Amino acid sequence: MIRKEAVKIVAKNAGKNPIVSANGFMSRDLFEVNDKESNFYMIGSMGLASSIGLGIALKNPKKRVFIFDGDGNILMNLGSLVTIGSLKPKNLIHVVFDNNSHESTGNQPTNSSKINLEKIAKNTNYKIFVIKSKRKLVLVLDQIKKLNGPIFLLIKISTSNERSKRVSWKPKDIRDRVINSL
Amino acid sequence: MNEEIQRKIFHYLKKRKIENFIGVPDSTLKYFIDEGLNNNNIIITTREEEAIGIATGMALSKNNSLVFMQNAGFANSISTITSLVELYKIPLIFLIGWRGYLPDDAPEHLKIGKIQPELLKMIGLKTKIITEKNWKLCCDWAVNQIKEKKPCALVIRRMFHD
Repeated sequence: MIRKEAVKIVAKNAGKNPIVSANGFMSRDLFEVNDKESNFYMIGSMGLASSIGLGIALKNPKKRVFIFDGDGNILMNLGSLVTIGSLKPKNLIHVVFDNNSHESTGNQPTNSSKINLEKIAKNTNYKIFVIKSKRKLVLVLDQIKKLNGPIFLLIKISTSNERSKRVSWKPKDIRDRVINSL
Repeated sequence: MNEEIQRKIFHYLKKRKIENFIGVPDSTLKYFIDEGLNNNNIIITTREEEAIGIATGMALSKNNSLVFMQNAGFANSISTITSLVELYKIPLIFLIGWRGYLPDDAPEHLKIGKIQPELLKMIGLKTKIITEKNWKLCCDWAVNQIKEKKPCALVIRRMFHD
């Protein structure tokens, strides 16, 4: 499974709920497969998708808030797992699309293959799911519908040469669309 | 800045619909943060950038937020301020403790204390230095800035050693 396929499956499942997507190819894939008002495409500030998602989750308890993170991104802000785990937002679903690499900058390796991200998440009070196939992904998405968060989905994906287009919305428009949707 | 005014600033901002106070502590802002903790209204994060991210999520939810930090944390946050807060024009108030303001402050504070005013200016973050005399005006100014959807900073000078 490549990121774009996995992003499409999770984004469709999220419906109208807000999604905060990490910078680089993550936001591009989301924009291409399922653009909508409540997507916050983070285009800079690497690492902070999880923190922005936490802020939205805390203030919108009736919505399920999805974070689309990469392994490189979450490794830059592991502290956010501590903060999320201490505040325990029930409506936060943290999805890490893990390809063991910084694909957006040329496939340089991250260290996610050498450690257990899911164990870190488990120890910071998340409910964890490790997913390696599309079939399992669909099953887990169904399973978590009635589960309280914080939930951590670690989706193992492979790298790919497929490239999505850049997000064409201007940052200020991304901001206003999200504000209007919440 | 004295204890009484720091505690008053918290309530003054709270009354003006600043609802969230998020950041990394500074002894320069000790009583302000303490007042927030007493009111169960503070989130302490692991790093300053994390605080800015959370406050951004809250601002997108039409919820006004203040992010507090030392100036060491401000230096950590420059890329986040330029590529998130300023890029998307996220209305946030920064409250920054000016370490290294006194020329005989601790050695690790001196360099950042010296370059801080210029750094703020270079990145284009509008700033006011808040004192025991002008604090109400400064708070009103900051609240107005975020009403106009602009980020801004309030700086408190560190006038003591510990």
